[in-house]
Amino acid sequence: MAKPPPITNRLRELREQHGGLSQSALAESIGVTRQTIIAIELGKYSPSLESAFRIARVFGVDVESVFGWQGPPRG
Amino acid sequence: MSPTLAFRNTPFREKTAWAMAAILIGGAAFYLNLVISASRALGQTAPPLIGFVIAYVVVIVIASVVLMSALAAISPSEANAPADEREKVIGDKAGNWAGYVMVVPALGALWHYAVNMDGNMLFHLVFLSLMLGQVAEYIFQIVLYRRGS
Repeated sequence: MAKPPPITNRLRELREQHGGLSQSALAESIGVTRQTIIAIELGKYSPSLESAFRIARVFGVDVESVFGWQGPPRG
Repeated sequence: MSPTLAFRNTPFREKTAWAMAAILIGGAAFYLNLVISASRALGQTAPPLIGFVIAYVVVIVIASVVLMSALAAISPSEANAPADEREKVIGDKAGNWAGYVMVVPALGALWHYAVNMDGNMLFHLVFLSLMLGQVAEYIFQIVLYRRGS
């Protein structure tokens, strides 16, 4: 089993806060498939920087409000 | 989850990978069976079945076009959409891994030829390596789609 990437996200929470935005609608607005949104939400796939910014823009927040780093600290 | 719902939730490219893997496995099994039967009948490795290879390629192309068209008719919007970033990564990884799968039997075929000088066997083994590489690519795609990344 592949190790999940050390990136957390608040996608599901943000979707619910934005009137229950569906995975399909979010996928369509950033130009990916619904399965990719599902994979991101489940922490199985780390989106590209461009998609991360696009997602943040959909919710009107900055990238760090959507994604977090869970890996070892620097140094 | 019902099979209908599972089918609907499966990405278009994963469905096409399943279809192509099934077609290619069927084709490879048929070819292998043909070569083994012909070799048994001849009492030695059967010569290259060039006619069959050409027919095989034509049948595979036609079967894949028919299946892709059928799948595209079920979900036209997904079929028309270009691969997204995750699907491109999956395609690249699967292609890369399949390359290794193809190389191993191809090297085995060369080794077999160097030892036995059986050119007919070399042809069959190289052709099977190519088929195996293609099957492996679709299987890796399915695994990566199922795994999420």
